[in-house]
Amino acid sequence: MTVQQLVRLYPRAWQTRYGEEFVEMVGTDRLRVQQVVDIVSGAIDAWLSSDVRRATVATGAREGGTVMNVHSLVCASSKVRYTTRDGLIGAAAMVLATFVLVTIGIAARRNGFLIAGDMLKSLAFPASMTLSMPFWIMKGQPWKAQAVIVGGTTVLLLVIGYISTLI
Amino acid sequence: MKKLHDSLSDLGRFSEPALLILISLADGPKHGYAMTRDIEVVSGQKLGPGTLYGAITRLEALKWIEPLPADDRRRPYRLTGAGQRVLRARLASLQAMTRVGRSRLAEG
Repeated sequence: MTVQQLVRLYPRAWQTRYGEEFVEMVGTDRLRVQQVVDIVSGAIDAWLSSDVRRATVATGAREGGTVMNVHSLVCASSKVRYTTRDGLIGAAAMVLATFVLVTIGIAARRNGFLIAGDMLKSLAFPASMTLSMPFWIMKGQPWKAQAVIVGGTTVLLLVIGYISTLI
Repeated sequence: MKKLHDSLSDLGRFSEPALLILISLADGPKHGYAMTRDIEVVSGQKLGPGTLYGAITRLEALKWIEPLPADDRRRPYRLTGAGQRVLRARLASLQAMTRVGRSRLAEG
């Protein structure tokens, strides 16, 4: 996986403003796992943090971009990607996934799978939040970006959940 | 009225990387790679690229740092006047805390 591929996980306005220097800074060497995790976390932060979205637009405008560039930055940032219906579907998916994971966790514990049960119960909310993202926050994004962010986050959550059961 | 240095704490998990960036830029403009190297030398911490740019984005929005014209594809950043004030305030606060901590250790 290259930094050019990973930088595509960031919002378009962010890529326009910081993409080139970001790629230049990371360089062309093979990325270490820690770097990949850090870049994916940064992309999630850039999507979820309203501060970062506003900052990207503001700095793009301050940079002295042309009227067209600034306009496209604002549009890219403020464009509503999901509707109220999408939000409701995302919320329903989150609640349903939480319920399913908690239920499976309880059943696992009752059947003697204590570690798996604890892990599922502790991951119920963050995992269901992550799994619901394609229905709203990430709606309309390229399937590769969705697969990397949702899949990568889910795997990381599973690893963290498993480690937490050992401590 | 809110104190300037309180806002650095408001950056949450980015407050420490942001402080390290401000310290790194205190002796002159640097681009991202130079900042990472400098921070590693000064603090022993190697900031990941996602963390570094998460903090740069916020610091630039707060106008505590500003970009300079790109040198090739690398863009240097420099500390602004507001950034210097925030950094001075935070360092003074840390110095006061360090003094208290040291004196309490000495008493104990």
